[in-house]
Amino acid sequence: MNAVGGAGQLEAVIAFYANYTEVLDDERLQEWPNFFTDDCIYQIIPRENYDNHLQLCTVQADGKNMLLDRVQGILRTQRFGPRRCRRFYSGLKISRIEGNVIDVRQNVLVVQTLTDEPSKILLCGASYDQLESNGELLLRQRIVVSDTDTIDNALIFPV
Amino acid sequence: MNAIGLRWPLDPQSRIPYWAYTDSGIYKQELTRIWYGAHWLYCGLEAELPEIGSYRTLILGERPVIMVRRSAEEITVVENRCAHHGTKICWDRAGTVQDLTCPYHNWSYDLDGTLLGVPFRRGVSGQGGMPKDFDPKDFSLRRLKVEVANGVIWASFSDETPSFRDYLGSTMWRYYERIFSGRRLRVIGYNRQRIDGNWKLMLENNKDPYHAALLHVFFATFGLYRPDQKNALEMDETGRHACLTAVMAKGGANQVTGALRGFDETIKLQDSRLIEAVKELKGEETVGASTIFPSVILLQQVNSLQARQIVPRGTGQFDFVWTHFGYEDDDEEMRGRRVRHANLFGPSGYVSADDAEVIRMVQKGMSPAPDAAEAVTLMGGREIEKASNMATEAAIRGMYRYYREVMNL
Repeated sequence: MNAVGGAGQLEAVIAFYANYTEVLDDERLQEWPNFFTDDCIYQIIPRENYDNHLQLCTVQADGKNMLLDRVQGILRTQRFGPRRCRRFYSGLKISRIEGNVIDVRQNVLVVQTLTDEPSKILLCGASYDQLESNGELLLRQRIVVSDTDTIDNALIFPV
Repeated sequence: MNAIGLRWPLDPQSRIPYWAYTDSGIYKQELTRIWYGAHWLYCGLEAELPEIGSYRTLILGERPVIMVRRSAEEITVVENRCAHHGTKICWDRAGTVQDLTCPYHNWSYDLDGTLLGVPFRRGVSGQGGMPKDFDPKDFSLRRLKVEVANGVIWASFSDETPSFRDYLGSTMWRYYERIFSGRRLRVIGYNRQRIDGNWKLMLENNKDPYHAALLHVFFATFGLYRPDQKNALEMDETGRHACLTAVMAKGGANQVTGALRGFDETIKLQDSRLIEAVKELKGEETVGASTIFPSVILLQQVNSLQARQIVPRGTGQFDFVWTHFGYEDDDEEMRGRRVRHANLFGPSGYVSADDAEVIRMVQKGMSPAPDAAEAVTLMGGREIEKASNMATEAAIRGMYRYYREVMNL
């Protein structure tokens, strides 16, 4: 399979993350799980745990169904003050391509704006992703390692 | 009337003045009388200090401390502040050391805080150095009273604090032993958040069964903690500690859920592994929340076990440090379960994020104090007694009865 590694590959990956960012920044949360494979792994993990091989995450989903549950939780069960979050991904690097799997590393910055407050950095870290290419690109792994290990009140929306 | 000219309301058992959460004079007294007074403060788990020289840094009250394993049997807790010039000695969160050496002028201390060496104490080529009457014994690190109880490390700034078991009282000890039975513990990881509210609000939150199914739609919907369940609220004799327990019931609608505005029967989980628990502790209770005044909440819900440490930061803010743990002999499935169930808790928790947000909003609402406004804690009457229903604020009343006593309010 070698749609991977072609000249258009980097562009396709960049376009994928642009769509991912748009969906989350526009709070189209129901669409967010569609970026993942059914058996995906999704984690937001503090660097303190990641570096010390401690398993605990701040958010962990084993499979797309748990992402759907997370979306339902945010939209239908959780209570939180009004806010906007924007994600700034940078330094995208395709670090490895093997078969139809593309490893991508990026910096992650999430800026949160609460009503009546100035904007603040909510999370600063890096993501280590694996994209699966089967005609379309899908995340089979997304691990966001958060350098910010003291979260400002609450981390509600996905990264 | 007290030293700062504030008077507690006339109906003391059922009212809390908002200035108790906003006044900086009150906060200073809390540090002295509560945090640095005759109370045990949660430090961590013995399992976090596996070998001699293993240390962790943390903050108790507002004071940075180091807990370190000095021998197989002994753990010491000393202030993380050099006796020379106040420098923080250990800068990392955790590590292993032979001794405690200050990076600034290399004053070095034994693992119990005794000053071992001062470079150039006798000067250089007969010039300079410390005066002849300098006695290293006078310059040890401040050492806290320490007790390790069933694998948990506790410290106190006061020598008058009774033994930990007496401090808890027999009722609370029973709940404590439910989780800390002596079975060896294993840390799963940490979560940290900085919550914009007074530190007491987090203790109240975990002493308050009334809010649980009203604020937390997740609890109500999936039957994890609901007023139609068999439940209990108990306190120690002073009222400062409390434990809430319940026995999980089937979800679904009934007469009680009709009173829960957020309850929605159509909410279903796509993957129920999120809350599928295996019974592992003695007793029929499926959830237990112990508030150990003033510093920690020990909580078990489904297969998640956590110590939630409170670190006060002024009147309107505290850090909340979550240590998730399991047992050393957990199998792989149980380890996976504990990590999945942790999704309910922490800064992104299906349940706990609600609490962080609501505490922020309580503090915002109270911030115009001091004025005549006060919180009402009349649910379940004025008594401070154990209860077996969730429509009660008895444990909050209990904590404030003790609080007024120790604060002389």
